[in-house]
Amino acid sequence: MNRPARALSQGFWTCLGCRLLVKAPEKRNTLSCLCPRCGARMHGRVEGSIMLTWALTITGALLLIPANILPVMTVIYLGAGEPSTIVGGTLELYQNGLWGIALIVFVASVAVPVMKLVGLVILCLIVQWRLDVAPRQAMRIYRVVNAIGRWSLLDLFMISILVALVDMGAIAEVAAGAGSTAFATVVVVTMFAVRAFDPRLIWDIYEEKMAAVDSKARDEERE
Amino acid sequence: MEQDSGQDAQQYRPQLLDAGQPRVWQRACHQCDLLLTRAHAPVGQRLLCPRCGATLHRNMERSVAHTAALSLSGLLLFIPSATLPLLEFSLFSFGAENTLLNGVQALFAAGYMWLASIVLFCSVLAPLGKFLLLAFICWGSGWASLAKPVARALRWYHHLQEWGMLDVYMLGILVALVKMSDLGKMTVEPGLYCFVAMMVISSAATVSFDAETVWARLARRAAATGGGDKDRKAAQ
Repeated sequence: MNRPARALSQGFWTCLGCRLLVKAPEKRNTLSCLCPRCGARMHGRVEGSIMLTWALTITGALLLIPANILPVMTVIYLGAGEPSTIVGGTLELYQNGLWGIALIVFVASVAVPVMKLVGLVILCLIVQWRLDVAPRQAMRIYRVVNAIGRWSLLDLFMISILVALVDMGAIAEVAAGAGSTAFATVVVVTMFAVRAFDPRLIWDIYEEKMAAVDSKARDEERE
Repeated sequence: MEQDSGQDAQQYRPQLLDAGQPRVWQRACHQCDLLLTRAHAPVGQRLLCPRCGATLHRNMERSVAHTAALSLSGLLLFIPSATLPLLEFSLFSFGAENTLLNGVQALFAAGYMWLASIVLFCSVLAPLGKFLLLAFICWGSGWASLAKPVARALRWYHHLQEWGMLDVYMLGILVALVKMSDLGKMTVEPGLYCFVAMMVISSAATVSFDAETVWARLARRAAATGGGDKDRKAAQ
Protein backbone atom coordinates (compact mmCIF):
# COMPACT_ATOMS: atom_id res chain seq x y z
CA MET A 1 0.00 0.00 0.00
CA ASN A 2 1.23 3.48 -0.75
CA ARG A 3 1.74 5.70 2.23
CA PRO A 4 1.33 9.45 1.82
CA ALA A 5 4.60 11.26 1.08
CA ARG A 6 6.16 13.00 4.06
CA ALA A 7 8.69 15.77 3.97
CA LEU A 8 11.47 14.35 6.12
CA SER A 9 11.59 10.97 4.39
CA GLN A 10 11.58 12.66 0.97
CA GLY A 11 14.48 14.90 1.97
CA PHE A 12 12.63 18.12 2.72
CA TRP A 13 12.55 20.34 5.77
CA THR A 14 9.94 22.89 6.75
CA CYS A 15 10.95 26.14 8.40
CA LEU A 16 8.75 26.53 11.46
CA GLY A 17 9.21 30.29 11.40
CA CYS A 18 7.87 30.99 7.92
CA ARG A 19 6.75 27.50 6.82
CA LEU A 20 8.94 27.47 3.75
CA LEU A 21 9.72 24.05 2.31
CA VAL A 22 13.38 23.57 1.46
CA LYS A 23 15.55 20.64 0.39
CA ALA A 24 17.31 19.18 3.41
CA PRO A 25 21.11 19.44 3.48
CA GLU A 26 22.59 16.55 1.55
CA LYS A 27 25.54 16.21 3.84
CA ARG A 28 24.75 13.59 6.48
CA ASN A 29 24.70 14.52 10.15
CA THR A 30 23.78 18.10 9.37
CA LEU A 31 21.30 18.81 12.10
CA SER A 32 20.33 22.34 11.28
CA CYS A 33 20.72 25.17 8.83
CA LEU A 34 19.34 28.67 8.42
CA CYS A 35 16.13 29.29 6.57
CA PRO A 36 16.95 31.02 3.27
CA ARG A 37 13.82 33.15 3.51
CA CYS A 38 13.40 34.25 7.12
CA GLY A 39 16.80 33.36 8.55
CA ALA A 40 15.50 31.26 11.44
CA ARG A 41 17.35 28.14 12.50
CA MET A 42 15.63 25.11 11.01
CA HIS A 43 15.78 21.39 11.66
CA GLY A 44 14.14 18.29 10.27
CA ARG A 45 12.43 17.86 13.60
CA VAL A 46 12.61 20.15 16.60
CA GLU A 47 15.84 19.28 18.34
CA GLY A 48 15.46 17.48 21.68
CA SER A 49 11.73 18.10 21.55
CA ILE A 50 10.58 15.35 23.90
CA MET A 51 13.38 15.93 26.38
CA LEU A 52 12.65 19.66 26.57
CA THR A 53 8.90 19.11 26.81
CA TRP A 54 9.40 16.62 29.64
CA ALA A 55 11.71 18.97 31.49
CA LEU A 56 9.35 21.95 31.24
CA THR A 57 6.29 19.85 32.05
CA ILE A 58 7.87 18.42 35.18
CA THR A 59 8.99 21.90 36.21
CA GLY A 60 5.44 23.14 35.73
CA ALA A 61 3.96 20.25 37.70
CA LEU A 62 6.33 20.86 40.61
CA LEU A 63 5.61 24.57 40.62
CA LEU A 64 1.89 23.89 40.66
CA ILE A 65 2.26 22.68 44.25
CA PRO A 66 3.47 26.00 45.76
CA ALA A 67 1.10 27.82 43.41
CA ASN A 68 -1.84 26.09 45.06
CA ILE A 69 -0.58 25.90 48.65
CA LEU A 70 0.70 29.46 49.04
CA PRO A 71 -1.79 32.33 49.05
CA VAL A 72 -2.12 34.26 45.81
CA MET A 73 -4.00 37.24 47.13
CA THR A 74 -5.06 38.90 50.37
CA VAL A 75 -8.14 41.10 50.51
CA ILE A 76 -8.09 43.23 53.66
CA TYR A 77 -11.36 44.97 54.38
CA LEU A 78 -11.62 47.19 57.47
CA GLY A 79 -8.53 45.63 58.94
CA ALA A 80 -9.77 42.07 58.60
CA GLY A 81 -8.96 39.62 55.88
CA GLU A 82 -7.18 36.39 55.32
CA PRO A 83 -4.84 35.34 52.55
CA SER A 84 -6.62 33.12 50.06
CA THR A 85 -5.27 30.46 47.74
CA ILE A 86 -6.44 29.93 44.16
CA VAL A 87 -8.97 27.26 45.10
CA GLY A 88 -10.00 29.22 48.19
CA GLY A 89 -10.69 32.31 46.13
CA THR A 90 -12.85 30.33 43.74
CA LEU A 91 -14.82 28.78 46.61
CA GLU A 92 -15.34 32.21 48.12
CA LEU A 93 -16.78 33.52 44.87
CA TYR A 94 -19.08 30.51 44.72
CA GLN A 95 -20.25 31.01 48.30
CA ASN A 96 -20.96 34.65 47.58
CA GLY A 97 -23.36 33.48 44.90
CA LEU A 98 -21.23 34.62 41.97
CA TRP A 99 -21.18 31.14 40.48
CA GLY A 100 -20.69 32.34 36.90
CA ILE A 101 -17.52 34.22 37.74
CA ALA A 102 -16.50 31.36 40.03
CA LEU A 103 -16.81 28.97 37.09
CA ILE A 104 -14.69 31.20 34.82
CA VAL A 105 -11.99 31.57 37.46
CA PHE A 106 -12.10 27.85 38.25
CA VAL A 107 -11.71 26.88 34.60
CA ALA A 108 -8.95 29.42 33.94
CA SER A 109 -6.83 28.93 37.02
CA VAL A 110 -7.52 25.39 38.22
CA ALA A 111 -8.81 23.26 35.35
CA VAL A 112 -6.67 24.70 32.54
CA PRO A 113 -3.22 24.33 34.16
CA VAL A 114 -4.00 20.80 35.32
CA MET A 115 -5.47 19.83 31.95
CA LYS A 116 -2.49 21.32 30.20
CA LEU A 117 0.01 19.38 32.28
CA VAL A 118 -1.95 16.13 31.93
CA GLY A 119 -2.22 16.70 28.19
CA LEU A 120 1.51 17.33 27.86
CA VAL A 121 2.32 14.20 29.85
CA ILE A 122 -0.02 12.15 27.65
CA LEU A 123 1.56 13.58 24.48
CA CYS A 124 5.07 12.84 25.72
CA LEU A 125 4.08 9.32 26.72
CA ILE A 126 2.47 8.70 23.33
CA VAL A 127 5.75 9.56 21.63
CA GLN A 128 8.07 8.01 24.17
CA TRP A 129 6.28 4.70 24.70
CA ARG A 130 4.92 4.57 21.16
CA LEU A 131 1.39 4.06 22.45
CA ASP A 132 -1.32 2.88 20.10
CA VAL A 133 -3.30 6.09 19.96
CA ALA A 134 -4.95 7.30 16.78
CA PRO A 135 -2.80 10.25 15.63
CA ARG A 136 -5.89 12.37 15.08
CA GLN A 137 -6.82 11.94 18.74
CA ALA A 138 -3.32 12.92 19.80
CA MET A 139 -3.47 15.97 17.54
CA ARG A 140 -6.74 16.93 19.19
CA ILE A 141 -5.04 16.87 22.59
CA TYR A 142 -2.17 18.91 21.18
CA ARG A 143 -4.46 21.57 19.75
CA VAL A 144 -6.55 21.88 22.90
CA VAL A 145 -3.42 22.18 25.05
CA ASN A 146 -2.07 24.77 22.64
CA ALA A 147 -5.25 26.84 22.59
CA ILE A 148 -6.18 26.94 26.28
CA GLY A 149 -2.75 27.78 27.69
CA ARG A 150 -2.87 31.55 27.68
CA TRP A 151 -6.17 31.83 29.54
CA SER A 152 -4.57 30.79 32.82
CA LEU A 153 -3.01 34.22 33.14
CA LEU A 154 -6.51 35.56 33.86
CA ASP A 155 -6.07 35.30 37.61
CA LEU A 156 -2.78 37.18 37.54
CA PHE A 157 -4.18 40.00 35.44
CA MET A 158 -7.06 40.23 37.88
CA ILE A 159 -4.63 40.45 40.81
CA SER A 160 -2.64 43.22 39.10
CA ILE A 161 -5.86 45.17 38.48
CA LEU A 162 -7.11 44.74 42.04
CA VAL A 163 -3.78 45.65 43.62
CA ALA A 164 -3.91 49.03 41.93
CA LEU A 165 -7.64 49.49 42.31
CA VAL A 166 -8.22 48.57 45.93
CA ASP A 167 -5.53 50.52 47.70
CA MET A 168 -7.03 52.53 50.55
CA GLY A 169 -4.67 51.78 53.38
CA ALA A 170 -6.47 50.58 56.49
CA ILE A 171 -9.96 50.51 54.99
CA ALA A 172 -9.45 48.16 52.12
CA GLU A 173 -6.40 46.76 50.47
CA VAL A 174 -5.52 43.94 48.13
CA ALA A 175 -2.05 42.48 48.30
CA ALA A 176 -0.52 39.84 46.09
CA GLY A 177 0.88 36.66 47.64
CA ALA A 178 3.87 34.45 47.01
CA GLY A 179 1.71 31.82 45.29
CA SER A 180 1.06 34.18 42.42
CA THR A 181 4.72 34.19 41.42
CA ALA A 182 4.73 30.40 41.32
CA PHE A 183 1.50 30.36 39.37
CA ALA A 184 2.82 32.86 36.80
CA THR A 185 5.85 30.65 36.32
CA VAL A 186 3.65 27.59 35.82
CA VAL A 187 1.78 29.35 33.01
CA VAL A 188 4.91 30.61 31.27
CA VAL A 189 6.77 27.31 31.63
CA THR A 190 3.88 25.26 30.25
CA MET A 191 3.48 27.66 27.33
CA PHE A 192 7.13 27.03 26.48
CA ALA A 193 6.55 23.30 26.93
CA VAL A 194 3.80 23.30 24.31
CA ARG A 195 6.08 25.32 22.03
CA ALA A 196 8.84 22.74 22.46
CA PHE A 197 6.63 19.77 21.56
CA ASP A 198 6.86 18.75 17.93
CA PRO A 199 3.55 17.16 16.83
CA ARG A 200 5.19 15.66 13.76
CA LEU A 201 6.78 13.05 16.03
CA ILE A 202 3.31 11.59 16.60
CA TRP A 203 2.94 11.05 12.88
CA ASP A 204 6.49 9.70 12.55
CA ILE A 205 5.63 6.91 14.96
CA TYR A 206 2.31 6.26 13.26
CA GLU A 207 4.01 5.99 9.89
CA GLU A 208 6.64 3.63 11.26
CA LYS A 209 3.93 1.39 12.66
CA MET A 210 1.99 1.45 9.40
CA ALA A 211 5.15 0.57 7.49
CA ALA A 212 5.73 -2.39 9.82
CA VAL A 213 2.14 -3.56 9.30
CA ASP A 214 2.55 -3.25 5.53
CA SER A 215 5.77 -5.21 5.37
CA LYS A 216 4.26 -7.90 7.58
CA ALA A 217 1.27 -8.19 5.25
CA ARG A 218 3.59 -8.42 2.27
CA ASP A 219 5.59 -11.20 3.93
CA GLU A 220 2.44 -13.14 4.63
CA GLU A 221 1.30 -12.75 1.04
CA ARG A 222 4.61 -14.15 -0.18
CA GLU A 223 4.30 -17.20 2.00
CA MET B 1 20.71 34.66 16.05
CA GLU B 2 22.90 34.90 12.99
CA GLN B 3 26.12 35.31 14.89
CA ASP B 4 26.01 32.03 16.74
CA SER B 5 24.80 30.08 13.74
CA GLY B 6 27.91 27.89 13.47
CA GLN B 7 29.78 26.81 10.41
CA ASP B 8 27.29 24.41 8.87
CA ALA B 9 25.05 27.32 8.00
CA GLN B 10 27.75 28.97 5.96
CA GLN B 11 28.73 25.77 4.24
CA TYR B 12 25.24 24.93 3.23
CA ARG B 13 22.61 27.19 1.75
CA PRO B 14 19.38 25.25 1.40
CA GLN B 15 17.96 25.15 -2.06
CA LEU B 16 14.74 26.95 -2.79
CA LEU B 17 12.17 24.94 -4.67
CA ASP B 18 11.53 26.14 -8.17
CA ALA B 19 7.85 26.60 -8.81
CA GLY B 20 8.34 25.96 -12.53
CA GLN B 21 9.10 22.27 -12.11
CA PRO B 22 6.17 19.97 -12.86
CA ARG B 23 4.44 18.32 -9.89
CA VAL B 24 6.87 19.49 -7.34
CA TRP B 25 6.17 19.46 -3.64
CA GLN B 26 5.22 22.94 -2.58
CA ARG B 27 4.62 22.71 1.12
CA ALA B 28 4.68 20.33 4.04
CA CYS B 29 2.15 20.49 6.84
CA HIS B 30 3.93 21.98 9.83
CA GLN B 31 2.03 19.72 12.20
CA CYS B 32 2.13 16.33 10.50
CA ASP B 33 4.80 16.73 7.78
CA LEU B 34 2.48 15.66 4.95
CA LEU B 35 3.78 16.86 1.58
CA LEU B 36 1.40 18.83 -0.59
CA THR B 37 1.61 19.98 -4.18
CA ARG B 38 -0.13 23.23 -3.38
CA ALA B 39 1.29 25.98 -1.22
CA HIS B 40 -1.37 28.67 -1.05
CA ALA B 41 -5.08 28.90 -0.56
CA PRO B 42 -7.14 30.80 -3.12
CA VAL B 43 -8.02 34.34 -2.07
CA GLY B 44 -10.61 34.43 0.68
CA GLN B 45 -10.21 30.76 1.56
CA ARG B 46 -8.24 28.55 3.87
CA LEU B 47 -5.92 25.69 3.04
CA LEU B 48 -6.35 22.83 5.50
CA CYS B 49 -4.09 19.83 5.84
CA PRO B 50 -6.08 16.93 4.34
CA ARG B 51 -4.71 14.53 6.91
CA CYS B 52 -4.45 16.28 10.28
CA GLY B 53 -6.70 19.25 9.60
CA ALA B 54 -4.22 21.97 10.57
CA THR B 55 -4.76 25.37 8.98
CA LEU B 56 -1.83 25.73 6.61
CA HIS B 57 -2.65 29.03 5.04
CA ARG B 58 -5.42 31.56 5.44
CA ASN B 59 -5.57 33.87 2.47
CA MET B 60 -7.59 36.91 3.47
CA GLU B 61 -8.68 39.37 0.84
CA ARG B 62 -6.40 42.43 0.67
CA SER B 63 -4.56 41.16 3.71
CA VAL B 64 -1.69 43.66 3.64
CA ALA B 65 -3.88 46.75 3.25
CA HIS B 66 -6.32 45.64 5.94
CA THR B 67 -3.58 44.72 8.37
CA ALA B 68 -1.79 48.03 7.78
CA ALA B 69 -4.98 49.94 8.52
CA LEU B 70 -5.84 47.83 11.55
CA SER B 71 -2.38 48.05 13.06
CA LEU B 72 -2.32 51.82 12.66
CA SER B 73 -5.68 52.21 14.36
CA GLY B 74 -4.49 49.81 17.04
CA LEU B 75 -1.45 52.00 17.65
CA LEU B 76 -3.64 55.09 17.89
CA LEU B 77 -6.01 53.37 20.32
CA PHE B 78 -3.08 52.21 22.40
CA ILE B 79 -2.39 55.79 23.51
CA PRO B 80 -5.72 56.42 25.28
CA SER B 81 -6.04 52.87 26.60
CA ALA B 82 -2.61 53.04 28.20
CA THR B 83 -2.98 56.53 29.65
CA LEU B 84 -6.66 56.84 30.58
CA PRO B 85 -7.99 54.99 33.64
CA LEU B 86 -9.85 51.76 32.91
CA LEU B 87 -11.80 51.32 36.12
CA GLU B 88 -12.50 53.36 39.18
CA PHE B 89 -13.20 51.87 42.57
CA SER B 90 -14.65 54.00 45.31
CA LEU B 91 -15.32 53.14 48.90
CA PHE B 92 -16.86 55.69 51.27
CA SER B 93 -15.02 58.85 50.26
CA PHE B 94 -11.91 57.12 48.99
CA GLY B 95 -11.33 56.35 45.35
CA ALA B 96 -8.64 54.71 43.27
CA GLU B 97 -8.18 54.30 39.57
CA ASN B 98 -6.64 51.56 37.54
CA THR B 99 -4.69 52.09 34.33
CA LEU B 100 -2.86 49.49 32.26
CA LEU B 101 0.41 50.47 33.89
CA ASN B 102 -0.27 51.30 37.51
CA GLY B 103 -1.21 47.71 38.36
CA VAL B 104 2.20 46.66 37.15
CA GLN B 105 3.72 49.53 39.08
CA ALA B 106 1.97 48.49 42.30
CA LEU B 107 3.12 44.88 41.91
CA PHE B 108 6.64 46.07 41.20
CA ALA B 109 6.63 48.29 44.27
CA ALA B 110 5.41 45.38 46.39
CA GLY B 111 8.43 43.37 45.30
CA TYR B 112 6.80 41.00 42.81
CA MET B 113 9.24 41.73 40.00
CA TRP B 114 8.75 38.52 38.06
CA LEU B 115 4.97 38.67 38.24
CA ALA B 116 5.00 42.37 37.34
CA SER B 117 7.21 41.80 34.32
CA ILE B 118 5.02 38.96 33.04
CA VAL B 119 1.91 41.12 33.37
CA LEU B 120 3.71 44.07 31.77
CA PHE B 121 4.96 41.96 28.90
CA CYS B 122 1.68 40.17 28.13
CA SER B 123 -0.66 43.11 28.53
CA VAL B 124 1.39 46.08 27.32
CA LEU B 125 4.66 45.27 25.58
CA ALA B 126 3.57 42.29 23.48
CA PRO B 127 0.38 43.94 22.12
CA LEU B 128 2.27 47.17 21.41
CA GLY B 129 5.08 45.22 19.78
CA LYS B 130 2.58 43.31 17.68
CA PHE B 131 1.01 46.48 16.36
CA LEU B 132 4.39 48.09 15.68
CA LEU B 133 5.75 45.01 13.91
CA LEU B 134 2.59 44.57 11.83
CA ALA B 135 2.60 48.22 10.81
CA PHE B 136 6.28 48.02 9.90
CA ILE B 137 5.83 44.75 7.98
CA CYS B 138 2.86 46.00 6.01
CA TRP B 139 4.26 49.40 5.13
CA GLY B 140 7.86 48.27 4.80
CA SER B 141 7.17 45.39 2.44
CA GLY B 142 6.52 47.95 -0.28
CA TRP B 143 10.22 48.88 -0.46
CA ALA B 144 12.77 46.38 -1.71
CA SER B 145 15.50 48.04 0.35
CA LEU B 146 13.67 47.13 3.55
CA ALA B 147 13.49 43.42 2.71
CA LYS B 148 15.97 42.33 5.38
CA PRO B 149 14.45 44.22 8.33
CA VAL B 150 10.96 43.15 7.24
CA ALA B 151 12.05 39.51 7.19
CA ARG B 152 13.43 39.95 10.69
CA ALA B 153 10.23 41.66 11.84
CA LEU B 154 8.20 38.74 10.46
CA ARG B 155 10.30 36.35 12.50
CA TRP B 156 9.85 38.41 15.67
CA TYR B 157 6.15 38.69 15.06
CA HIS B 158 5.92 34.92 14.81
CA HIS B 159 7.46 34.57 18.27
CA LEU B 160 5.61 37.47 19.85
CA GLN B 161 2.18 36.59 18.55
CA GLU B 162 0.93 34.26 21.25
CA TRP B 163 2.12 36.49 24.09
CA GLY B 164 -0.24 39.33 23.38
CA MET B 165 -3.09 38.63 25.76
CA LEU B 166 -5.44 41.56 25.55
CA ASP B 167 -8.48 39.28 25.47
CA VAL B 168 -7.38 37.50 28.62
CA TYR B 169 -6.76 40.86 30.29
CA MET B 170 -10.25 41.94 29.30
CA LEU B 171 -11.73 38.91 31.02
CA GLY B 172 -9.56 39.75 34.03
CA ILE B 173 -11.12 43.21 34.12
CA LEU B 174 -14.61 41.71 34.01
CA VAL B 175 -13.82 39.29 36.82
CA ALA B 176 -12.36 42.10 38.92
CA LEU B 177 -15.42 44.23 38.19
CA VAL B 178 -17.84 41.60 39.41
CA LYS B 179 -15.71 40.38 42.29
CA MET B 180 -15.31 43.78 43.91
CA SER B 181 -18.76 45.15 43.16
CA ASP B 182 -20.18 44.01 46.49
CA LEU B 183 -17.32 45.63 48.41
CA GLY B 184 -17.48 49.12 46.96
CA LYS B 185 -18.61 51.01 43.91
CA MET B 186 -17.02 50.14 40.60
CA THR B 187 -17.21 52.59 37.71
CA VAL B 188 -16.23 51.97 34.13
CA GLU B 189 -13.98 54.73 32.86
CA PRO B 190 -13.48 55.91 29.25
CA GLY B 191 -10.15 54.13 28.97
CA LEU B 192 -11.96 50.80 29.10
CA TYR B 193 -13.88 51.54 25.90
CA CYS B 194 -10.63 52.33 24.13
CA PHE B 195 -9.16 49.15 25.56
CA VAL B 196 -12.07 47.04 24.27
CA ALA B 197 -11.73 48.61 20.83
CA MET B 198 -7.99 47.94 20.86
CA MET B 199 -8.61 44.32 21.85
CA VAL B 200 -11.08 43.79 19.00
CA ILE B 201 -8.71 45.46 16.52
CA SER B 202 -5.82 43.37 17.78
CA SER B 203 -7.75 40.15 17.13
CA ALA B 204 -8.88 41.41 13.73
CA ALA B 205 -5.31 42.33 12.78
CA THR B 206 -4.06 38.89 13.84
CA VAL B 207 -6.72 37.20 11.72
CA SER B 208 -6.29 39.39 8.66
CA PHE B 209 -2.49 39.18 8.65
CA ASP B 210 -1.02 36.62 6.31
CA ALA B 211 2.74 36.16 6.28
CA GLU B 212 2.72 34.30 2.96
CA THR B 213 1.32 37.33 1.15
CA VAL B 214 4.10 39.47 2.58
CA TRP B 215 6.75 36.94 1.56
CA ALA B 216 5.33 36.84 -1.96
CA ARG B 217 5.34 40.64 -2.03
CA LEU B 218 8.95 40.78 -0.88
CA ALA B 219 9.95 38.28 -3.56
CA ARG B 220 8.13 40.34 -6.22
CA ARG B 221 9.89 43.54 -5.12
CA ALA B 222 13.25 41.80 -5.16
CA ALA B 223 12.62 40.48 -8.66
CA ALA B 224 11.44 43.89 -9.89
CA THR B 225 14.61 45.63 -8.77
CA GLY B 226 16.75 42.93 -10.33
CA GLY B 227 18.16 41.79 -7.03
CA GLY B 228 16.52 38.40 -7.40
CA ASP B 229 17.92 37.85 -10.90
CA LYS B 230 21.42 38.75 -9.81
CA ASP B 231 21.22 36.25 -6.97
CA ARG B 232 20.01 33.53 -9.26
CA LYS B 233 22.79 34.17 -11.73
CA ALA B 234 25.35 34.14 -8.96
CA ALA B 235 23.97 30.81 -7.78
CA GLN B 236 24.31 29.32 -11.24
